Amino acid sequence: MNQWLDERLHISRLNDKFLRKAFPVHHSFFLGEITLFSLIILILTGILLALSYEPSNSMVVNSFDPGTSDAPNLIPAAYHSTLKINAAPFGDMLRRIHHWTANIMVAASVIHMMRIYFTGAFKKPREINWWIGMLLLIFAALTAVTGYVLPYDNYAYNTLKVIYSIAASIPWVGEWVAQAAFAGKFPGDGVIPRVYGYHIMLLPGILLALTAAHMLIMIKQKHTQPQYAKRIAYKKIVGVPLMTQQTPIMLMLALLFAGIIVLFSAFIPVHPVEYFGPPTTTPIENIKPDWYLLWVFGVLAIIPGFEFNFLGGNINSEFVGAILLPTLTLGLMFAVPMLDRSRENLYYAENPTNHPVRLGLGVAFMMLLAVWSVAGYKPELISAGILTTENANTVLWIATFLVPALSYFFVQAVVRGIRALREADERDRTIHAAHADD
Amino acid sequence: MTRYKRQDPEITRRKFINVAMGTTAAVGGVSLLSTLGAANPVFRLTADKMPPLEGDILVHAEASKEGRPITIDDLSTQLVRAWPMGKDENGADVIRKGDPNNILALYRFPKGQLVAPTNLEATIDGEVVAYSDICTHAGCSVSDSDINAGQMRCPCHSGEYDPKRGAVVTGGPPPKPLAQLPIRRDGDRLVVTGFFLTPPYPYHNNEAEWNNLKREVEEALT
Repeated sequence: MNQWLDERLHISRLNDKFLRKAFPVHHSFFLGEITLFSLIILILTGILLALSYEPSNSMVVNSFDPGTSDAPNLIPAAYHSTLKINAAPFGDMLRRIHHWTANIMVAASVIHMMRIYFTGAFKKPREINWWIGMLLLIFAALTAVTGYVLPYDNYAYNTLKVIYSIAASIPWVGEWVAQAAFAGKFPGDGVIPRVYGYHIMLLPGILLALTAAHMLIMIKQKHTQPQYAKRIAYKKIVGVPLMTQQTPIMLMLALLFAGIIVLFSAFIPVHPVEYFGPPTTTPIENIKPDWYLLWVFGVLAIIPGFEFNFLGGNINSEFVGAILLPTLTLGLMFAVPMLDRSRENLYYAENPTNHPVRLGLGVAFMMLLAVWSVAGYKPELISAGILTTENANTVLWIATFLVPALSYFFVQAVVRGIRALREADERDRTIHAAHADD
Repeated sequence: MTRYKRQDPEITRRKFINVAMGTTAAVGGVSLLSTLGAANPVFRLTADKMPPLEGDILVHAEASKEGRPITIDDLSTQLVRAWPMGKDENGADVIRKGDPNNILALYRFPKGQLVAPTNLEATIDGEVVAYSDICTHAGCSVSDSDINAGQMRCPCHSGEYDPKRGAVVTGGPPPKPLAQLPIRRDGDRLVVTGFFLTPPYPYHNNEAEWNNLKREVEEALT
């Protein structure tokens, strides 16, 4: 059969180009693969969920609790179909797998990104892939947020309300943008079909296209080589070929990963739609976004309220906290490859301790996001008595500046220690080597 | 031998193709923009989407007793949520919950506790007061605070308001106080006597648009 296919499609040429691609042997190089596996699981479970989901926010009679003919119990069709999915065999399990995999995909891509940053793999010639990776991260988060809205329970409804008002807070064009994006004034009659279209067509399409570009560029430019490759064969690509050595490893990893997710989902429930109930005006206490957006939420919680008029546009704290500041933060991440001035192409992954400033700044940046995420728990911190209403904002703003600064200097101290140890080791080695020569 | 002289055409082939492609791209882009405009549906101001109006009666918003008129005895220093209920064009009762921003917060305080900047004229005997229940920050529905007794707190970003002092902001990010709704007593019922005294969310920073809406409502009613 191979020959039959080869005569028609020339797959042996594909073999030379792609299937022999060398994969470096190091555990940190599996993070991107886990992200890819997550995307595949998400698409598969997403297709199954879409088969039973009804994308509509018109009201239908709740078949589980119909009420009376005089006062029927009406709930949105989308929420009703979510209840039905939960009641179907393994329906709840599918939702859990989809939800957990989405979380793990973002987590894996963030750790993948940390590996790229700390080993300098974003440097020339791989800047383009860093930018594509950033876009992937942003669109993955957007896909997750739109997915949050689809069950259309009370939680989703309140989340959507906040998202709508964030979009509407853009000066000059905000109200129009929010209405165009969410099909009319909140909650528009077509809001669920609209978000559904984003979640299952537009955003996954963008994600798949970006993923394809990410992979092709990676194959073209090749992985950065781990340090051991330098010792084995200088300036040669070292690693195991995709076909057949890397493939079984990948398959094993994918299956193991899928198994862990199923195990997770079997024991840890997610987003109990029955508990939250259908959309009402009664708010959910301590509503929070997923962990990867908690930092934006934290900024909104501690930013003081203000608004002023600028050239006819209204600039308020919500716009600054939820759009301007995150844009600046993401812009900083986009700019990372441009901060590096080297003209040479990078072959080998760098040891982070040889670049203490980059390491320190990266850690400080992550600590900043961590402080803002903690600020997202402001009401809990206050009710636990750790902070008071009066001092909460002050303390959290001081921490915003102090914690990253301290962690920067802490990293410098640790790096100095590590280097001192390494130099001592080298001295020892030369002394011993000298002895051995005698 | 005649010398062949190349005659330059008025426009080169390359230039023609470039201009043609540019025009195509521009026309295509503009037509795509028009489909983007279609993404924003027309807003129709139906009776269930109008803001609370003069003559509306206040009814319970809680799911178990939704639509039942609120009496003064139902109210206390704990928040009670209400919808305005008016008439549609056929004269039938309609709860104005088509716009979720119409949700109201009602309180009844012992006499003397409600103080300025609450507009006492717009309360019932300086005891019962009605506010928009929508946080001026991100449009969430505000509840009683579980941290500071007697305050209101928004569950979304911890904005705080003081319901005894005209719902002024006492903490967090909201830019403006909650809008107060003028009410009076009519027998057992609570009746709205006019529009919100200040523009409510989401018009709190756009007085002109709020006035537009009021005019539209008045036109629709006559």
